[in-house]
Amino acid sequence: MRIASLSFRYGRHDPWILSDAGLVLDAGDVVEVTGPNGTGKSTLLRLVAGLLRPVRGSIEERPRVVGYAPERFPSDQPFTVASYLRHMAAVRRVSTESIGRWSERLGMDHLLGQRLPDLSKGSAHKVGLAQALLAEPGLLVLDEPFAGLDAATRAELPRIIGEVGARGGIVVVSDHQGDLRAFPGLRRCEVRDGAVRELEPVEEAGETALTVLEVAVAASRASDLVDRLRAEGCAVNITGHTTGHITGHTTGHTAGRTTARVAGEAAE
Amino acid sequence: MTPVIALARFRLTGYVASHRALQPLIALLALLAVLYAGAIPAGQEIGATADSAAMLVPVLAWAARGLLDTEPDEQRSVALSALGPRELVSGLLAAFASLLVLAAIAETALLFRLVGSPTLTVLLTGVWLHLLSATAGLTLGALTSRPILPSPAVSTIALILGYLSMLVLSMAGARWLTVPVMAWMRDAHHDALLSGLPLLTVQSLLWPAIGLAAYTWLRRTRP
Repeated sequence: MRIASLSFRYGRHDPWILSDAGLVLDAGDVVEVTGPNGTGKSTLLRLVAGLLRPVRGSIEERPRVVGYAPERFPSDQPFTVASYLRHMAAVRRVSTESIGRWSERLGMDHLLGQRLPDLSKGSAHKVGLAQALLAEPGLLVLDEPFAGLDAATRAELPRIIGEVGARGGIVVVSDHQGDLRAFPGLRRCEVRDGAVRELEPVEEAGETALTVLEVAVAASRASDLVDRLRAEGCAVNITGHTTGHITGHTTGHTAGRTTARVAGEAAE
Repeated sequence: MTPVIALARFRLTGYVASHRALQPLIALLALLAVLYAGAIPAGQEIGATADSAAMLVPVLAWAARGLLDTEPDEQRSVALSALGPRELVSGLLAAFASLLVLAAIAETALLFRLVGSPTLTVLLTGVWLHLLSATAGLTLGALTSRPILPSPAVSTIALILGYLSMLVLSMAGARWLTVPVMAWMRDAHHDALLSGLPLLTVQSLLWPAIGLAAYTWLRRTRP
């Protein structure tokens, strides 16, 4: 699948979200799309999935069967989980047996009789993942798939993604949480300033020495910094909020600042 | 079942289950109550059927818009990822099916209020005019649906103005410039409908064809 000279904006008077972006996705690729909020990750995913048309440029050789799980599953629909998935299976022309298989793997067997509007955010998210996986997609596009998932499903999803890749499918995932960082062979792309830039792959855990930094940052800027550091491949744990005064030392705490522990590759 | 029909069935099920289908149904029943407060005298059957078809257009447009807008935007994206451009065909198909149900209710109510027995010609003309009405309603509803006009207020005003423009333009005799709903009624009440029905059909389908082509074109960039 080839994305060439891709430019996109929502309206003639709107700013360009993507400008002259290019990317080649081969069969079996698992690609993580990173970048700060509002830079166009979801737009890129929607373009990749074929939900939006490029204003300029082209997307060629898209696999025929596309599975797309939106960031927020639209649970405001008058169906039970089972009837919704049965309808989606009919739309996809797949056997209803696949509903049972995916329900089991995503840990949502017990939800099948529930109505969609009654689901919690995480449960609704699982329904969105299940419908995307029903038809064994050749291109699987997942927008923030780990958000709100329970631990068991968070652990299962990389295995599912690996299976889609192993049978030659392309998987494109936007992931703020960094749950795919340890995925072997993961390709990482950053969307920033309208461009799509391929990042260096993260080395497998255990092969690289890590340095742990402690960073204090104004609370209002914390989220942006965390995004940037994660986009750089760092593992970030926010350790707390402090209200002390700045001391001038690297370990000092300042008013309204958030402290974060950052693990990155050791400097030579 | 083809994916297009399966998706149309999903959308119809969602439309009915969400109770949004009740709104145009109640409006239709109110309209029928007014139209058929008195029985239809013998000899005025075709006139009455043309009146029904013409007055039904805004109700059918509202119903079509309601069906297309029932689905959340992200669900439409999911459908688009599954079917590609055929998603649009499925939406129009589901909407048209819902309009046929409403048109059938209107036609049945009309037949019950006839004093004389309807001839086959009356029956077929009624069915044909209501199909033309459903096509006009489908087009107006699709062009005012959320992907095209996201603001509910603008969409409602556009739907009303769209129907009013049909009335005004066709009242002025401009049969080729709009769906000539006033011409349906005028011709029917002057016994000129049957002889001119082929031409009237072409005139009545021209703008829906253009409108649906415009809807298809606009939806390319408005998923």
